[in-house]
Parts: sequence; structure tokens; C-alpha cells
Amino acid sequence: MRYPKLCQALAATLLAGGALDCGHAAAPPAAAPAAPAAVASHYALDPARSSLEFTFLQAGAKNTGRFPRFAVTLDCSGADPAGGRLEVTVEVAALDTGDKDRDDTLRSDDLFAAAKFPQAHFLATRIVKTAGGYEAEGALTIRGVTRETKVPFTFREATEGGAAVGYLTGKALVRRLDFGVGQGEWKATDQAGNEVTVSFALRLTRAAH
Amino acid sequence: MALRNTTRRWGAIAQTFHWVIVALIIVQVTLAEKADDLPNGMRKLKLLAQHKSVGITILMLVILRLGWRALNPHPPLPDNLKPYERKLAHFTHAALYTLLFALPLSGWMMSSARGFPVSWFGFFQLPDLVPKSRPLYDALVTTHHTLAWTLIGVVALHVAGALKHHFVHKDDVLRRMLPFTRH
Repeated sequence: MRYPKLCQALAATLLAGGALDCGHAAAPPAAAPAAPAAVASHYALDPARSSLEFTFLQAGAKNTGRFPRFAVTLDCSGADPAGGRLEVTVEVAALDTGDKDRDDTLRSDDLFAAAKFPQAHFLATRIVKTAGGYEAEGALTIRGVTRETKVPFTFREATEGGAAVGYLTGKALVRRLDFGVGQGEWKATDQAGNEVTVSFALRLTRAAH
Repeated sequence: MALRNTTRRWGAIAQTFHWVIVALIIVQVTLAEKADDLPNGMRKLKLLAQHKSVGITILMLVILRLGWRALNPHPPLPDNLKPYERKLAHFTHAALYTLLFALPLSGWMMSSARGFPVSWFGFFQLPDLVPKSRPLYDALVTTHHTLAWTLIGVVALHVAGALKHHFVHKDDVLRRMLPFTRH
């Protein structure tokens, strides 16, 4: 859809809906807003069917971990993330690499310092359409350090059991040292690699608007 | 000095295998002892990563060494050995080869069971030998440590034997494995 805002404005004005296909079921006439507001969609995470994982090199060998506790909201027009707002909040202390000793070390002050910085946060206020799907650009905050980060992803909406859902997947490369995750002896990258690939496969459910 | 073995003396290649593996065993024990004393952290990780890489190196060398031994004649034990001495010598050598396989393999399995894949000096990653399992890991820790102590014991026996040949029997058993000795 090339002109989402224009499309929404026209659909709202036409009231009846269905005259212009904005890529989703048109708003029911009764809900037509008086102001030319966009047909806003608010998606929230379905945690049971979503995953946020990361892979890293430990002493040159590939290892994986996951963040089991996180929240995601996506606010956009219709079912097109472009121009929308994506927010991710991660409970860092809940990280799980399948090894308690390693997890305790990761939570410690020189690495994630989870006690002091319990959450990691990504807020993208700029989402653009790209050749491969979409790209969210915004502020990524880890261990209290914020950096502008671009995260490519794909988005597919579907209707399941009568409800609108969105599948959002992608991966991003994060350099832990950019965020200070690794102080003192952990600045060295031979045992714990600097580059971490974060991959996410999210199922989002759209709230009725 | 000849590269290959003769019936009277170990060649340069066999000697190199022998003494390099001796040196690496000393390095291994040192790395393990130092790592054991450390709390979880970067230094311990580093020492264990080196220990694993050296261990895999020993495994590779032992495989090559056995191959080389199979392709070569080897100096026999002296004629004047008593039957029990002969048996003890064969047993010690067989035990050493067995342990030099079992130790790195049990260590590799241990790492796999813990869920920490092994990397050879950061150059390549080895496949996991067993699935991740804490009970299996705990059992392999005991196995690996027991085998290590057994190796130290058998090495002590081996060294004692070599010295006995040299100083008591005054034969050339030790000399023929030493570089730079005239034969």
C-alpha cells in the first residue's frame, strides 16, 4: 500500500468502509471516527508463541540463549507496520543460556549488571518498507546505554480464529561492547564474542480498536 | 638421526611424537590445576579453553603417532627381561595409549554434555559427541578426573621403568628414545 495515511483518511471519510482496501477488514461503520484519524492498529505480544533468542561465540564455539520474558507492542495504521511504532521491553535477569553458572556470570555487574539495569529497551518510531520487508529504526538501550539501531524484519498478517494476528520475524547484529556489556576483564572478546545475533519470531495479536 | 625407526632405535619422528606429547601432558595438567583453583570468570574460561584445545591436539597427535607406529618397525624390549617385566612394559605402553585416547575423548564428551561446544584454539568448532545432560556431565567430570589421576600413575610407572633400564640394567632402552644420544 503506497499511501497508507491517505488511504486511511479516505476510508474514514467514506464511512461505509470496503470502498478502499487498506489490507485489512474495513472498519465497521458504527466505529467511524469523526476526526480524520488513521485506523490505528495496536498489536501486543502473544508470549506463548513468540521467541527472542541470541547466539554468540564462546571460546570460538557457537552458543545460544534466550530471553523468555519480554513485551512487544506495535502501533501502526492498518496492517502495515510502515510508519508505525514498535516497542520492545526485555526482562534481562530472566536470560537463559541453559547453564546456571554462565547465566549468573552474564547477570553480574561486569556484563549485563541486571540488578542495576533490569530491562533492555527498543523503541522504534520510524519504520520503513524495504526490499526485504521492513526496517525499524530507533533507540536500543542495553545496560543503560542507548544507541540508534536499525532492525530489519518481515511482517505477515493473518486471521486466526476470527482474530487478526501479525507474525513479525527478523534478526539484528548487536555488538555487546557498544553497550558496555563487558567491563574489566570482560572487555576481551576471545572468550565471549563481541558480536551477538539477536533473532526474534513474534506472534502479535491485534487488539480491537 | 634417521626419520624412521630401526630395530635398534626410535627414529626422529617417533621421538618427536613422544616428547611433544610429554610436554603437552605437562601443559595440560598445569592448565587444569590452575583452572581448578579459580572461581567462574574470564580467567577460568580462558584456561579451560586452552586445556580443551591442547587436549584435542594431543588426541590428534596420538592418532597420527599410532598410525606411524603401525607403519614402522619398532625396537624390541631387551632379551634379558624377566617375564613379569615384559608384561609390565607392554601393559604400561598399552595403558598409556588407551588413556591418551580416553582422556581427551572424555573431556570432549564432558564439554558436549555441559552444552559448551569445543573449539580448537578458536579456529574451528568440533561437533558435540553427546547431547546436553547435566547428570551425564557430572558423571564425565568424575571419569575425566579419575582417568587423569590414572595417567599420572601410569606415567610414573613408565618413567620408573625407563630409569631402571638406564641405571640398573644399564641397557639402551632410554637412550634409544632420546635425541642427541649416540647409538
